[in-house]
Amino acid sequence: MSHSAKGSPASEPSWGKRSDLDVLNRDIPRVDGPVKATGQAIYTHDVRLPDMLWARLLIHPVPRAEIESIDLEAASEMPGVVHIEALKESGDTVRYHGDDAVLAVVAAETPEQAADALREIRVKATSLPPVVTRAQALEDDAPVVSRRRNADANVGRANERGDAARADAALAEAVAVVERTFEIPVQHHACLETHGHVVQPAPDDEPVTVYASTQSVGGTPRGLARTLGRDASRIRVLTPHMGGGFGSKFGPGLEGALAARVANTTGRPVHLMLTRADEFAIAGNRSGSRQTLKVGADSEGRLVGLKLEADKLGGVSGGSLPGPPYIYTVADDDAVSSKIRSVHTATDGSRAMRAPGHPQASFAMEAAVDELAYLLGMDLVEMRIRNLESDVHHRQLRRVAEEIGWAEHPHRDRPGTAVNGRAVGIGFGVSVWGPGGRSSRCDVTVRPDGSVVSATATQDLGTGARTYVAAIVAEELGLTVDMVEARIGDSDLPPSVTSGGSVTTGSSAPAIKDAAHKAREALEALVADVLGAPVGSYSWKGGRVSVRGDASRSLPWIAVCALLREPLVAQGEFRDFLHEGRIHGAQAARVEVDTLTGRVKVLKMVTCQDQGLPLNRLALRSQINGGMIQALSYGLLEQRVFDEQDGFLLSDTLDLYKLAGAQEIPEMVALIDDEDERPSVCGMAEAPVIPGHSAIAGAIHNACGARLTRMPFTADNVLETLYGKI
Amino acid sequence: MKDFDLKLPDSLDAAVGELPSEYSRDGAQVLAGGQDIVTVMKDAIERPAALVSLQRLGLDAIEWDGDGGVTIGATVTIQALAEDPNMEFSLPALREAARSIGSPQIRSQGTVGGNLNQRPRCPYYRHPSVSCFKKGGSVCLAEFGFNKYAAIFGGGPSYYSHPSDLATVLLMLGATVSITGPAGERRVPLSELYLLPEDALDTETVLSPDEILTSVHIPAQPPGARSSYLKFKERASYDFALAAVAVSVTRGDDGVVTEARVVLGGVAPKPWEVPAAARALVGEPMGPQAWTAAGEAAVADADPLEHNGYKIHLVKGLLFRALEALA
Ligand SMILES: Cc1cc2nc3c(=O)[nH]c(=O)nc-3n(C[C@H](O)[C@H](O)[C@H](O)COP(=O)(O)OP(=O)(O)OC[C@H]3O[C@@H](n4cnc5c(N)ncnc54)[C@H](O)[C@@H]3O)c2cc1C
Repeated sequence: MSHSAKGSPASEPSWGKRSDLDVLNRDIPRVDGPVKATGQAIYTHDVRLPDMLWARLLIHPVPRAEIESIDLEAASEMPGVVHIEALKESGDTVRYHGDDAVLAVVAAETPEQAADALREIRVKATSLPPVVTRAQALEDDAPVVSRRRNADANVGRANERGDAARADAALAEAVAVVERTFEIPVQHHACLETHGHVVQPAPDDEPVTVYASTQSVGGTPRGLARTLGRDASRIRVLTPHMGGGFGSKFGPGLEGALAARVANTTGRPVHLMLTRADEFAIAGNRSGSRQTLKVGADSEGRLVGLKLEADKLGGVSGGSLPGPPYIYTVADDDAVSSKIRSVHTATDGSRAMRAPGHPQASFAMEAAVDELAYLLGMDLVEMRIRNLESDVHHRQLRRVAEEIGWAEHPHRDRPGTAVNGRAVGIGFGVSVWGPGGRSSRCDVTVRPDGSVVSATATQDLGTGARTYVAAIVAEELGLTVDMVEARIGDSDLPPSVTSGGSVTTGSSAPAIKDAAHKAREALEALVADVLGAPVGSYSWKGGRVSVRGDASRSLPWIAVCALLREPLVAQGEFRDFLHEGRIHGAQAARVEVDTLTGRVKVLKMVTCQDQGLPLNRLALRSQINGGMIQALSYGLLEQRVFDEQDGFLLSDTLDLYKLAGAQEIPEMVALIDDEDERPSVCGMAEAPVIPGHSAIAGAIHNACGARLTRMPFTADNVLETLYGKI
Repeated sequence: MKDFDLKLPDSLDAAVGELPSEYSRDGAQVLAGGQDIVTVMKDAIERPAALVSLQRLGLDAIEWDGDGGVTIGATVTIQALAEDPNMEFSLPALREAARSIGSPQIRSQGTVGGNLNQRPRCPYYRHPSVSCFKKGGSVCLAEFGFNKYAAIFGGGPSYYSHPSDLATVLLMLGATVSITGPAGERRVPLSELYLLPEDALDTETVLSPDEILTSVHIPAQPPGARSSYLKFKERASYDFALAAVAVSVTRGDDGVVTEARVVLGGVAPKPWEVPAAARALVGEPMGPQAWTAAGEAAVADADPLEHNGYKIHLVKGLLFRALEALA
């Protein structure tokens, strides 16, 4: 038996006064930084098990086809091939580019042998018209590619809100009106680590071990239970380190199911990670959109009417786009109308991606706000402040404006003009998010030798979660972070949440705090016999416990733990009052445009972001920087390209799917909004990715008068906007 | 990738002897730094049964003659070229081109000969599943498909744009290459090295499959000539040229241009010299008027496809910026 810290606590946990904190709200280097930087961290990709097979997928190169035959004979005779299996047969159709296009799986002794064998599979198929663009999907005689039951067209049911006539009437009376159509391409998650699993089969009486690159250590056993033919409780999922998910790794997917199946069939461990090309083909994406947005303002710059017609372009999935007005307020709610529908193409379905739908909505809305400001001759920041309800946004906008040098900028209420083909401009954008918090558990174990373990089945996607799993406990017990071992990424640990919607911190941090607090009170009950003061009257700092107000009555940590005869296990759970999920952000960008060549160079980006108590300021700034970078890359470069004639995905390499690199990165300033003094925590990963590309587009407009209504802002786009298409 | 034999000959003759006289998809090919050939093999675009390495042929020297000319061995790495101490002063445009290529890893492994002989980067050519003229097929999907990166000069029936940065500058510098084959050595001016798709589809150069490019010779430049290379990368961190210009200008004492040479990169299946642009500069003082006129002359014969008309603006802008930097 171990000591149990269950039972009613003497007091509720709290994050404490910020001025009292020794560990949290500071820059905490990541506890796993050194193993990552030195290559010792084992990601799923790196797992090597004895006798392991390497599996590869054959993906049909065009989105739609009728399969005549899949001949596996030559491939099955290739050296090293142990398992080969077709997923389609003669007469089947490939309905879309994505998991439906996976034709076969091969497992061999080496990855090279698996790849060589794939090439020997003979597929006979007749290509069907591809349907990869919105225009192709909307043609009168377009083949129906929608997956909806009984669909007779590629258009989903429109979600209509508001009263178009009321909106029209308000717009007719507006002093300034802008109407634009925006085209936003599909973005890939482009995780550094591709999707995949390593599955180690086991006899019936032992657990199957699955290494997974997943955002849901806890959910993956259920996701694989049926394929593995056993109860989820006898599947152990491990994600010691993970190379990014951004919303694309919630479930095992087809690749996980196949890894499990091949492992079951062959009885050998199977390594099935997608290649980069597979990743682009079947691992999801952020939906594109086409939005026609009309917004009007009165002479004071207040938004008075808005109409939106939008198509979400999520391939065979629905896509996402929040309804208007995005973040900004229209004076009369009834003067807002929208019609949003999904247009389906025969392409990989969209998945959640870091603030699903929000960057798309931001792009159109911020553009409209900019243009109305210019029509009215109003300062861009002032125009925003007038139409944002939250004074948090107001102060954040002022803060980023100051940091970007807005007051000194020569043209704040009209676009500038290029001098000798060079122009500098500034743009802005805002964000909101509601990061949830829900049921999560954590065990904190304190051993007689002074060692401490904080354990919860969360996963660190690269966010820094592992570090606060230790740091919260260190803070509560007056220790340093290195004195607490963080254990995560294992489905056998106390359950926590799937990492999506920025819920990880808001869910797991309160549970960790609760466990640490219970451990502390259990230790205080022991200490009370020695130091005499009752539970609740101790201060834990600098590796000692002392009676509050009487520093002479104290014990070092090691002596406290020596009072334990066996390990103390404190079980914590989610406490709602430790969490609050309502956050805001503002961003500014300064760019230089060369109007002769179309080069857009982002010079500086600034974000100001609130989130309650910052658990780790370094990780928080890193998240904010990551958001700015991902938005910059989205705005400047990223674009999925299909050949429209035959339907080949051309951008299935990192050569052609262009991500920003070191040269694209501007000076970046991540400001934590310390005027937010809420005594609560929450995640914030999604908010900072929302407005960066909008601010860059605004800055381009502010620089030289070119309003880019298409993304990305590559030279062709800039030059065609300035001078027309040749 | 398909298994292949690696040949490591010790002499040029032996190397040539390993190579086939006629092209076939599985015939032996030359291996230099492997930065390009290995990728096309991995994607099964080429399937040579053997690679003949140039590693032991001692072609890796940069030799400056007394008069300002220089001979660069075929296996000199792009990094060595960029770092040669004389380069910055004597041939800054070539140094700039070398430094603009790929990433440090690619420059350290890729060679001058390999760079000049690299295969097209057209996304259709590089896609393992797409058939095209360049791969023995009967179509160029870029013509009516995704042609944002394609040629605006010299295209048809295939529309790739030549990827080599070095080739653009070397043409501007009046370079000559030395080529060794079964019949011995021949010298070919860079202006005659490349073929257009209308002349050949299974190769981009006049080299026959059993010939090896052994060195590049750059003659001394005209006294007083100043040159520059300006490359536009869509992704600044590393990218091939969306378009590029190599220019050389000589001015008289009065500041008027007496000699000029303008070569465009990234816009045609070979480095594309535009004599008309040079003519627009000669006899004029360096200034925005002459630069604009040169730009107009440079693109006068452009024949863009659906999605690459912007390259016309881009070339004009780049030429303006390159000349501005030289003024
Ligand atoms: C990611 C990436 C980015 C790149 N970016 C750029 C860029 O920005 N600009 C640019 O110019 N290039 C760029 N390159 C191309 C790169 O410069 C070439 O791949 C490299 O220079 C090839 O040299 P190599 O020695 O590795 O040639 P190899 O790959 O060994 O050979 C390339 C081809 O040339 C033939 N060949 C090689 N040497 C000779 C010879 N001496 N005689 C006859 N034939 C020969 C080979 O048979 C083969 O067909 C990039 C490449 C990569 C992979």
